Amino acid sequence: MERMKIGKEKFGDFLTALDKQLYAPQKVGETLRFVPVTPENKLDLEFSNTTVPPKSVLFPQVETLYQYELGKTDLNLPDGGEERVLVGVRPCDARAMAIVDNLFSWDIDDPYYLAKREKTTVIGLACSEPGMNCFCTSVGGGPASTEGLDLLLTDLGEVFLLQSLTEKGKRLCQEAEGTLEQATEEEVTSAEKLHQEAAGKIVRNIDTGGISEKLPELWDSSLWQDVSEACLGCGTCTFLCPTCHCFDIQDEAEGLEGRRCRVWDSCMFSEYTLHASGHNPRPTRRERTRNRVNHKYSYFVTKFERTACVGCGRCINLCPVNIDILNILAEVIKEAI
Amino acid sequence: MVDLEKLRTVARETISRDDVKYLIGWRQGTYGFRVSPCFIKEPGEAEQLIFSPLCTNNLASYLIVMEKLPLPRGEQPDTRKVAVMVKGCDSRAVVQQLIEQGTKREELYIIGCPCEGVLDLKKVEAKFPHILDPVTVQWGKDKIIFQLPEGVEEVPREEVLAQKCLDCRDPNPVIADITLGEGVQAWGNGEYQDVQELEAKGAEERWSFWEDKFNSCIRCYSCRNVCPMCYCKDCVLDRLNPSWVYRSSNVSENTAFHLSRAFHLAGRCVECGECERVCPVDIPLMKLNKKLAKEVEEKYGYRPGLDPEAKPLQSSYRPDDKEDFIL
Repeated sequence: MERMKIGKEKFGDFLTALDKQLYAPQKVGETLRFVPVTPENKLDLEFSNTTVPPKSVLFPQVETLYQYELGKTDLNLPDGGEERVLVGVRPCDARAMAIVDNLFSWDIDDPYYLAKREKTTVIGLACSEPGMNCFCTSVGGGPASTEGLDLLLTDLGEVFLLQSLTEKGKRLCQEAEGTLEQATEEEVTSAEKLHQEAAGKIVRNIDTGGISEKLPELWDSSLWQDVSEACLGCGTCTFLCPTCHCFDIQDEAEGLEGRRCRVWDSCMFSEYTLHASGHNPRPTRRERTRNRVNHKYSYFVTKFERTACVGCGRCINLCPVNIDILNILAEVIKEAI
Repeated sequence: MVDLEKLRTVARETISRDDVKYLIGWRQGTYGFRVSPCFIKEPGEAEQLIFSPLCTNNLASYLIVMEKLPLPRGEQPDTRKVAVMVKGCDSRAVVQQLIEQGTKREELYIIGCPCEGVLDLKKVEAKFPHILDPVTVQWGKDKIIFQLPEGVEEVPREEVLAQKCLDCRDPNPVIADITLGEGVQAWGNGEYQDVQELEAKGAEERWSFWEDKFNSCIRCYSCRNVCPMCYCKDCVLDRLNPSWVYRSSNVSENTAFHLSRAFHLAGRCVECGECERVCPVDIPLMKLNKKLAKEVEEKYGYRPGLDPEAKPLQSSYRPDDKEDFIL
């Protein structure tokens, strides 16, 4: 594999040479999320991870499906938008994109998601200081995992080592060829060393082997009551999960114009499964919590042969009542024996 | 200071009572400085309980968040009491729920815990990052004592306590069946300093402050769900026909959401600060709530959650209510 490098002072030139809409972590309010980079906002790649995962670019919280005007018969359909480059995506979040790809191209191709996905190139940034609740190595990933990425950057201090991983990545490198140099053997070795060290800094680990088979056996277990009692039923864990992809379709109208859009939805909300009859098959937070865990670690595995969790730790970090997915999994393992 | 042994003994006795179904308290969380609300059903489980500066959660929220399933035919409802541990702010939430008939006094057994202030986890986790082992934390005189893996650290309380605690005027439970430990001194001055700072700014500056914050809202509704005073069975925000607030997350709808909530809490918010604590995108929601609390206090001399015999502000009228601010 070809390894290039780029001086940090030239990284801005590299991105400018691409002539595409860049998305990078920027502060909105008090938190980091991926938003379009404009000349006013500086690119800052010194961050642990964003609060809102980059799924918000490919699968925005609110997405117009079509617009209409009363009295007219034609609908306005959005196109896939401009060519874009996501800069500074953490390897866990890139793996999440690869996981979500399965869902949006499963029975029916989702034109909205796939058009954007096709036009998006993802530049990853390997982790050197994993967060407290990172557990990517327990779910098949790692601080320098390359799945879902087109390019991977490793911060070597003065320079970024740059690994081109796909055709898209290669094209990007060609477009900005002038700013790149060949990496030396030593640089490649020190990047590999950094990746290993980063993996060693991950303190939370769990053996997830066999969990998908264990979960269905525990359907009626009292553990679901125990782990969900403190749940408040908010959408933090799911909205900020890089693999959660549920949406609700809403119609919004004003005057003679309107649109049909989809908005993020959460299986932790009580009305998520509420039927028109008033019946709710998941009537309490016990059933909803059970569903969240089963969906990630069992149903998704049955359908797509992979876990729908990348170990980013957001749900653990941000849960207001300390519902800790690793703790739930540990209970599952304990109970199943 | 609440003695842990005393607390656990009281909890054991409480849960052994025939008329109590479970006790809501705090237990050490899964890592670091985290704590989780817990539901004690057996006397043996009382050993898990703690009361320390880590116990941020307002447990009064759990009195109204419970989802009751329809009873199977022939089965009688469980009418036993719920026992709940309360700090000063939690107890004010209970009082306000009682005033509004959201809960019934005879359904509760209240264990009061005088509180010397709880931590702001954002401050603490920034100060002591990457701590996996559960940490014991205690109140000291004007300081907080952390038993960290590498040794004991003492930090001045102003550096790590939640702002709502530094401003607290009622740290002692205002309602309880049993109170643990001695009452503590109140230290808040009721001056609404942060509100005054915002008020001093021009309208444009204020709006640019809030616009930025509301723009970052993801409408996860954690602020609503954690709020002990938000307990409508059918929330206006969940209504679809008509949709009073669209589900779309944008500055306009998010502002409508937060302002609706703030107005619904006027004269009701007990300033427990839970909305601000749980917000994953750090919106300073207490500034909104305190602005309204300040208005209510100045105009009507009313502070919610202090007197179980009081009437709700918005359903009471006194001939001597001030009128000079009414247009």
